[in-house]
Amino acid sequence: MAIDGLIILDPAGRPIIQSSYTTYPAAYPLLHIEALNNALAKAPREGSVDPVIYVGELSCSSACCHVEVGGMRFVATISGDADPLIAFAFLDAFTEILQDYFGVVSVATLKDNFDIVYQLLEETLDSSGHPLTTSPNALSDIVLSPSLISKLLASVSPATPGVPSARQGGSFGSNGASGAFTSPIPWRKAGVRHNHNEILFDVVEEMRGIVGKNGTTLVSNVFGKIESNAKLSGTPDLTLTFTNPNVLTECAFHPCVRLQKWIRDNALSFVPPEGRFILADYQYKPPQSALVSNVPIPLSLKANMDMGEFGGTFALTLTSRLIKVMENLELKFYLGEDATSAQCTLSSAGSSVGSVGSADGSWSFNSRTKTLRWEILNMRSSGSWILRGSWTSKIKAPRPAHAFQISFEIPSYSFSSLKVDQLRLSSETYKMYKGVRMRSKGSIEWRW
Amino acid sequence: MSTQQGQDAKFFQRGKIEEFRAELQAAEAKDKKYQKRKTVLKKIVANITMGNDMSPLFHDVIQCIGTPLLEIKKMVYLFLVSYGRSKPDQIHLVIPSFLQDCNDRNPLIRALAIRTMSYIPISVVTEALSDQLRHCLKDRDPYVRKTAAICVAKVYTADPRKAERKGFVELLRDMLIDENATVVANAVAALSEIGDRQDGVIFKLNLTIANKLLGALGESSEWGQIYILDSLLRYVPEQHSDAEMMAERVIVQLQHANSAVVLTTIKALLYLMNYMGDRRLIDYICRKMGPPLVTLLSSGPEVQYVALRNILLIIQRRPTVLKNDVKAFFCKYNDPIYVKLAKLEIMYRLAREENAREVLAELEEYASEVDVDFVRKAVRSIGRLAIKVEPAADKCIESLLKLIETKVTYVVQEAVIVTKDIFRRYPGKYEGIIPKLCENLDALDEPEAKAAMVWILGQFADKIDNADELLDDLVYSFLDEPAEVQLALLTAVVKLFIYKSQSEVTKALVHKVLKWATEDIDNPDLRDRGFMYWRMLAMNPAIAAEIVLAEKPAITTDSDRMDRGALDQLLLHTGTLGSIYHKNPETFIRNAAGRALIDSPALNANSRAVLVTLARPQLPPMAISVSGPGPVEPTRPSQPGEVANNVPLPTILESSRSDERDLLDVEGDDGAGGDSGEGYPDGDDDGPVTKAADPYASLGGAFGGYVTDVPQPVGGSRSGDLDDLLF
Repeated sequence: MAIDGLIILDPAGRPIIQSSYTTYPAAYPLLHIEALNNALAKAPREGSVDPVIYVGELSCSSACCHVEVGGMRFVATISGDADPLIAFAFLDAFTEILQDYFGVVSVATLKDNFDIVYQLLEETLDSSGHPLTTSPNALSDIVLSPSLISKLLASVSPATPGVPSARQGGSFGSNGASGAFTSPIPWRKAGVRHNHNEILFDVVEEMRGIVGKNGTTLVSNVFGKIESNAKLSGTPDLTLTFTNPNVLTECAFHPCVRLQKWIRDNALSFVPPEGRFILADYQYKPPQSALVSNVPIPLSLKANMDMGEFGGTFALTLTSRLIKVMENLELKFYLGEDATSAQCTLSSAGSSVGSVGSADGSWSFNSRTKTLRWEILNMRSSGSWILRGSWTSKIKAPRPAHAFQISFEIPSYSFSSLKVDQLRLSSETYKMYKGVRMRSKGSIEWRW
Repeated sequence: MSTQQGQDAKFFQRGKIEEFRAELQAAEAKDKKYQKRKTVLKKIVANITMGNDMSPLFHDVIQCIGTPLLEIKKMVYLFLVSYGRSKPDQIHLVIPSFLQDCNDRNPLIRALAIRTMSYIPISVVTEALSDQLRHCLKDRDPYVRKTAAICVAKVYTADPRKAERKGFVELLRDMLIDENATVVANAVAALSEIGDRQDGVIFKLNLTIANKLLGALGESSEWGQIYILDSLLRYVPEQHSDAEMMAERVIVQLQHANSAVVLTTIKALLYLMNYMGDRRLIDYICRKMGPPLVTLLSSGPEVQYVALRNILLIIQRRPTVLKNDVKAFFCKYNDPIYVKLAKLEIMYRLAREENAREVLAELEEYASEVDVDFVRKAVRSIGRLAIKVEPAADKCIESLLKLIETKVTYVVQEAVIVTKDIFRRYPGKYEGIIPKLCENLDALDEPEAKAAMVWILGQFADKIDNADELLDDLVYSFLDEPAEVQLALLTAVVKLFIYKSQSEVTKALVHKVLKWATEDIDNPDLRDRGFMYWRMLAMNPAIAAEIVLAEKPAITTDSDRMDRGALDQLLLHTGTLGSIYHKNPETFIRNAAGRALIDSPALNANSRAVLVTLARPQLPPMAISVSGPGPVEPTRPSQPGEVANNVPLPTILESSRSDERDLLDVEGDDGAGGDSGEGYPDGDDDGPVTKAADPYASLGGAFGGYVTDVPQPVGGSRSGDLDDLLF
C-alpha cells in the first residue's frame, strides 16, 4: 500500500520535479513518464485516458496514477498491492499544500520554489511511499513558506547571523521545530496566538442533476460542504449547533470533529486546525416522503430542436424558478465533431424588472471544442431568456450532443436552508468574531 | 515575494560540473550567511532534477555537510540520497557527519540523518545506522520515533534476516503501544510493509493489540488511520462477537472526509463481516456502506473511477449494498469515458425488475450518444438486460429493433450480437424478428457480428424461407473470412443441410463448404471440424442431426458473476490495484504476498465453503505424503497463475528465527511445513471443503470480454476458459 514516488510533469510532458526513487533503477521513473506521455498522446480526446495506467514493462508491475493540476500533470507511481485511491488522495493533499504555500500552482511557481517543493515532498512522502505529514498546520512548522522566509529576511537585521540559524538554536529551536508532533492534537499546532480571533464558515452547496427528455428530473443531488477558516488562539474547543441538523445527511467530517457527539446530539464539537479546512461534507436530502427524493431544480429549459441536413436550428427558453437571483449562468451545447459555425440571437421576455430592449446575456461558439456557450450573468427571478439560432456542419446527418450542460451560482442561498443556531467556545475566554455565509451552485445536464 | 519570482527559474539551466566545482570552492571564502553556497547547491539540485549527472561533485558537495544551516544540510542530504549508493568507496567520508547529526539537539536533524542513511544500502552506512536507529526508536521526540519506525522497514528490505537478528521487529512491535498516535500509525505501516513481503515475518494482530490500535484511530492523521484500518485485516476474529464489536467501532470512520479512509474502512468492514453471525448487524452495515460510496462519486473523475471499480466488486459479494441507488450511476454526458463504462457495468449489475424500466430508458439514451465505444457498450447492455431481467425482455427487444432501424452500422452489429444470445435465452419467443435482422445482412462487416448472424441463420434455417439463398451469398467469400466466421458458416451450412436435406441447392452448398474446409484451409480447427461433420453426415445423418441440433444449455446470467471464493479474496484487496483490475495482486505483482481469508471458529460457514487457501509458493513442501492408511491430505488448490508469476525466492530459514514464534502479535513465519503461511489448512471439523480448482479462472470470465476497457495486466490471458455462455 505504498506510493513509489511523485513526479510533476510540465505541459509538454517533461519532469519538473520528482521524488528520489532511491530504491529503484534509474529508468524506473522514466518508464512511467513515457508510458503516461504515450497514453496521453494516443488519447482521442482530452480526459479520456484512464487515470490509472498500468506499466508492465518492468519486472515489477506498477501503475501511474495521474491528475491534471494547473496545466501540469501530477503523477504518483504505485507498485505492488498499492492503493490507487491513497495515491489520488495524496495527490490531492499535496496539491492543496502547494496551494497553501504558493497561492497559485503553476509551472512558474514550482520552478521558482523548487527547493521548498522538495522539502515538502520529503516531509509528506516517505521514500518507501508512506504519506506522512500532510496537515498544513504541522508542515508549516517544519518547512517555511516562501512568504514567511521573505518576511523573516526582511525583518532580520544584517548583523544577526541569519534567519535559519535562528531556527536551529534560538527562540523556536529544537522543541518548537517538531511542535506539531508533540502537540496533543495532531491537526493543530500548539501555542497559536492571535490579536484578533475569528472563525468563518462558508456553507457551499452544489446541486448535480440530470433532467430527462420529457422534462422530468431523473436525478438531482445536493452535496454540501462547510468550509472554515479559523484564526483562533490557544486550544479553542468549539460547539456548533444547527436549528435544522436533520437536513444534513451522509456527513463526512474533518478528523477534528468528535463523531460520537454528533451521533448523540447532532452538534459539531471540535478543536479546529489553524487556517482553512473543510469541517464537513454532507448530502442534503429533502425531508419529505421517500417518493420525492429529488431536490427541485431551480430553473427550467424548453428546447425546440430541429435537425436538418448539414446543421440544424434551435430555440432554447430558460426560466428561473427561484426568487433569488442566479448568477453566471452558463449553458453549453456540444454541436458535434463536424460542426463548423453557429449563429444566434438573444432575447428575453416578461422580465418584471423592465429590461426591455437589450437582453443581458451573450453567446459564443468555440470552433476548437465545437461547443456553443450561452451566458447570462444575472438571471432574475421571473421572466425568461431565449436563445434562437442555427448551426452548420460538414456532414449530412450531424450528431450533436443530446444534452445541454447548465451551470449556475446562487449567492446567499442554500438548497437545504441549513441554519446555524449557535457557536459556543469553551476552554478559552476570549471573544471571537463569527461569520457564516451561504452559497450555492449547480451543474445540470438537460437532455433533449 | 514578487521580487523573488522568476529568480529561481534561472537555476534550471544546464550547468557544467567544473563551473559548479569552482563556484563551490569560491563560496568557501567570504560567504556571508552561506548565501553563495546555498545558491550553488540549489543549482546543483536543479540539475539533478533535470536528469544531469552531478555525481562527480560528490567530494565537493559533502564538504558542505557541516554548514550550520538547515537548508544547506537538506540539500546536501538530497544529493546524498541521489548519489550515495553509487559511491561505495567514498561514502565513509560522510559517516562521521551522519553520526554527529544523529545526535544533534534538533530532532529534525536527527530524523533527517537516519532517514537519509536508510536510503543508502551500503554496508558501512547500514552498520553505522543500526545502533543509531535503535536509539532513535526510543528517542524522546515523537518526530524522530515516527521517522525511525519507517526506517526499520527499509533496513528490513535491505537484509531481512539481519534486521530480525538485531531485534528491530520486536522494537517496532513495542511501538504499537506508543503514546503518540502518529508513531503508532507509522509502526503499523512499517510492520505491514514487512508483513507484505513474501519473505517477511508474518504480522498478525491479537484482539488486545487490535483494540489498542483502534484506540489510536481518533488521534491519527488520515494516513495513519488508513494504516491502522488496513492492519485490521491481519486480525482473525475467533468469535462472532469480536468481529461485531470491532465493526461497531470502525463503522464511524465511514464519516471521514478522506476518500481513501472511507474505502479502507469499507474494506475492513467487508472483511469483518465474514466472521459475523448476526444477520441483522450485517444488513445494517451493508446499508451504512452505500451512502459513503455514493458520496465518493461526487469527487474528481479519478477517485470516481477507483470507487466505481470497487463498487462493482462489492455489490457482487453484498448485493444489498446500493440496491436502491441505481440512479447514482446514471452517466452524464460530460463524464470521462472510463467513468461512463464503469458506471454502465454497475447499472447492469443493479438492474432488476423494479428498476428495469428506468435503466432501459437510460441505456437507450446512451445508445444515441456520440462516442462509438460507449454506444456499443450501451447497446450490448440492453441485450444483457433482456437476458437478466425476464419481465423487461419485451421492452428491450423493442428497443433493440428501434436501434437496428437507425442503420448506424456499429449499432446494428452490436444489436445482432446480443440478439443471438436473447434467442438462446428465450427459445421460441422472439424468432419473429429474424426477418428484420436479415434486412441488415449487408451492414455486418465485423467478424463477431457476422458470426452471430450466421449462427442465427443456421439455427433457425427451418423458419427462414430463404436461408439457403442467404447462406449461399455469405459463403461466397468463405475463403477470405476470418476463422471465427468460417467456423460459424461451416456449422450453419451443416445445420441447413440437416433441416433441408432434400434440397439440391443445400446439398451443393454443404458439399462446397466441407470441401473448402477440409482441403483449402490451413486452420486445423476448421479442418478437423469439417472432417467431423463430413463423417457424421456420411455415416448416419439422423444421429448427426441429433448432435448438431441438440438442445442448447439454457443461457443464464449466473456465469457472469464472480466465483464467491475469488470475490472474498479480491475484496481483501479493496481499493488496491487488484480491485481495479479485478485480479489478485500476487498474480500480476512479483513478490506480493497474497491475502486470503483465514479460517477461525467465527468464520461464516458460506465463506468457509469457498475458502481459498494461499500457498506460499516459495516454500518447498515439507510434508512428504506416503500412501497408506489414514485420511488423505487435502491437496492444495493448484494456482497456475500464482506459481507462474512468482519467482521462487531462495529462503533458507535460519534456526535462530524460531525464537520469534513466541511473539504475541508478530508471529514468526516458522516456515516449517507447507501449511504455514497466512492460510491455515482447513480444519478437519469443517466438513467437506469444496475448493475451486482454479479460483481465478472465472475472474476474467465474469466480465468475459465484455468490459474490454479493463486493463489486462497479466500477459497470459485466461480467455481460454472464459468463453462462457454470455459474451
